[in-house]
Amino acid sequence: MKRIAVNIEICDGCGVCQLVCSAQKAGQWHPSFSRIIIKRDEEFGLNVPIFCMHCSNPPCETFCVMNLIYKDHDSDLTLRHEDRCIGCRACEIACPFSAAIMDPISEAVVNCDLCGGDPQCVKYCPAGALAFIDISEAADKKRRQTAGLQILEASRKL
Amino acid sequence: MNDYPGKILEVNLSTRSISSRKVEPELIKKYLGGIGLCARILYDEIPSGADPLGEDNVLVFAAGTLVGTPFPTASRTEASAKSPLTGQFGTSNSGAFFGIQLKTAGYDALVIKGKAAEPAYLVINDDEAKILNAGFLWGKECWETVDILEQKHYGAEIALIGPAGENLVRFASIENGRYDGWGRTGLGAVMGSKNLKAVAVKGSRGRNIYDTAAMLEAVKKGQQLIKSASSYMAFTEYGTLNASIPYGKFKATSAHNFTKGTLPDWKDIGGRPIVDKYGSRHVACQSCIIACGHWAEIKEGKYAGLRIKDLEITPVMSFGATVGLDTEAIIKASEICQRYGVDMVSAGGVLGFAIELYKKGILTDEDVGFELDFGDDEAAFKLLHQVINREGIGNILAEGTKRAAEQFEQADRYAIHVKGMEIPFIDPRGRWSTWTLGMLTNIRGGDHLRCRNPVENLRYNDKDEAYMKERFGFKKPMYDRLDMPEELKSKAIDLENDTVDIPEMSKWAEDLINLYNAVGICIRPPVMEKVGPTIIAEACRAFIGIDINAADLMESSERTWNLIKLFNLREGEAVDASKFPRRFYEEDIDGNRLDEAKIQAVLEKYYQARGWDRKTGRPEANTLDRLKLDDLDN
Repeated sequence: MKRIAVNIEICDGCGVCQLVCSAQKAGQWHPSFSRIIIKRDEEFGLNVPIFCMHCSNPPCETFCVMNLIYKDHDSDLTLRHEDRCIGCRACEIACPFSAAIMDPISEAVVNCDLCGGDPQCVKYCPAGALAFIDISEAADKKRRQTAGLQILEASRKL
Repeated sequence: MNDYPGKILEVNLSTRSISSRKVEPELIKKYLGGIGLCARILYDEIPSGADPLGEDNVLVFAAGTLVGTPFPTASRTEASAKSPLTGQFGTSNSGAFFGIQLKTAGYDALVIKGKAAEPAYLVINDDEAKILNAGFLWGKECWETVDILEQKHYGAEIALIGPAGENLVRFASIENGRYDGWGRTGLGAVMGSKNLKAVAVKGSRGRNIYDTAAMLEAVKKGQQLIKSASSYMAFTEYGTLNASIPYGKFKATSAHNFTKGTLPDWKDIGGRPIVDKYGSRHVACQSCIIACGHWAEIKEGKYAGLRIKDLEITPVMSFGATVGLDTEAIIKASEICQRYGVDMVSAGGVLGFAIELYKKGILTDEDVGFELDFGDDEAAFKLLHQVINREGIGNILAEGTKRAAEQFEQADRYAIHVKGMEIPFIDPRGRWSTWTLGMLTNIRGGDHLRCRNPVENLRYNDKDEAYMKERFGFKKPMYDRLDMPEELKSKAIDLENDTVDIPEMSKWAEDLINLYNAVGICIRPPVMEKVGPTIIAEACRAFIGIDINAADLMESSERTWNLIKLFNLREGEAVDASKFPRRFYEEDIDGNRLDEAKIQAVLEKYYQARGWDRKTGRPEANTLDRLKLDDLDN
């Protein structure tokens, strides 16, 4: 199961992913027309790209009064029937990441659909902060990293 | 064409009227955007001889043509007005996120005229623009002002001035958010003279793309080009600080107000160690693929807890070399400049000048009130605050080195400026190159950012007796890949002798950088090395559907450069103004001094390449004809 993984240590906040996404999805340039939100935190010096995590039990699905959000059986993605969206934005608030966003052109709330398995943002990310990889593999990498750090920390104390 | 060009928003602070007009497509074809639009608007709308700090001055912000697209490094916005420091074309370029907001609000340029009766700030939200009272912000430093305005106007990008701009310090900057800024030529004082504290812009409109597939193709190509540049890896790691070590080695820094060439412990102060010790994550401007900036933090000592974005070569050289401060004090100095809104280069220049006057006995304890010395951070910061607040001796220094030198006898020898603007960190006595000639020919005075050899090779420092050549230092593949018309390339670069012809290359480099400033991309070396007019033309065609090729772009850029020259001549630029401070011709560094006659000969060649008359300084009639600059009113 491949998903987008982000390394916030590397992300420098350039916003290329957003513009490429907005061009693909909306046919126009604008960071907020994209399915990615970048939170640039100057206090911590961190840039955090936020996008749909395709939860296995998505709160947005529960909260959609129109019943438009569903889990796709084949891909296990969280998808929606955008054409019938009333734009109440309940799903946006229900999402723990607020990763659903209002598309100002169609006036429907939308989320990342991984571009049908070929996410453009990953292709254009200049810093290599975004990766399209198997989610268990990504988690495993992270575990290795954390374990390594802990071992390093422990060895320093010896 | 798609919905490009956008509109020009015109705000008159005197009459409180706000209007917008569509930009004529012809104007875009001729001037592109960014500095091109600025130049044309300033030439047409500032009356000749206007007081830079008076009501007649016009301040323009213009985002480059490609700003708002993911084309690599397309983030830059030009700000221009008549400069209070030089009395001529004042202009400065800044990145970050202001440009994309201005663009997506629907505007290519924002024109600010007149003077508000009371402190005011401007809020632009797409079609809605308002002039609001800024009484509660006046006197506040920049970071605090940004905090307040970000809360009031969520999501807006803010251009603002600090106390230095309010106090009309002639080298005050306009800050771009907390950490970036339009630094040079004193535009902050222009904003201050208009009683304008800040401009907050938020845009929520998309910009249409003429041909999405072709545009994304151009973006990909641009990214690959920059990533293949020889300096790319070094720049992603250390940013502009890369230049600091070679310049120290060549004894070509501004050490102690241009008296020393370099400092004994320069290796530890001025370069990569700073990033290694204080830097952390990288940070990019909009659409940048280099991300040369870093977050930097001081963890212990006197300045513990201080955090800034971006350690750049300019503060490191201005405060580290010119004033002789240590690394942590350099970071503190950057913070002061950002918080209070002054240009780092000029601030460092003025401090170095004052310290040298003090050491020479021209300034006395009575004038200053405390002791001054190179390397003394506390005294330097005390003096800097006096300049910002125009207190005591600071009131004279706030006028810039050229004007301040007129107040003291024998002081002009120590005032290091060209055409009234303080020279940045490069000492031409230590290393003569296209870059240093650029300080003389620059349309904004003593400055390093409008002319640099696109294939600058910092490994070498070969001295040419005639000042005409510098070493190329690369092999043939680099020559072949350089995006330059073949005829010009063979004139500017002599592969056999491995040399670059400085006057020819200067013209090309100035036009190329001017093109970058018009389309809104950055002049970092990896970009200059690889991104030429061909790929930019491809991106422009795909984005706005305009029929334009590489030669058209270079012609447009040359047109803008000539127009700015005409502006400067109209505002009284003297024919012999292009000269270095006396010190460079009369005092040695490491056995080197400049030969004035030889430099004049290089300038002569440069004028020929430009098609300008050396006697009057004016572009010749056939140059103006060729560039179709015949529609000017005066």
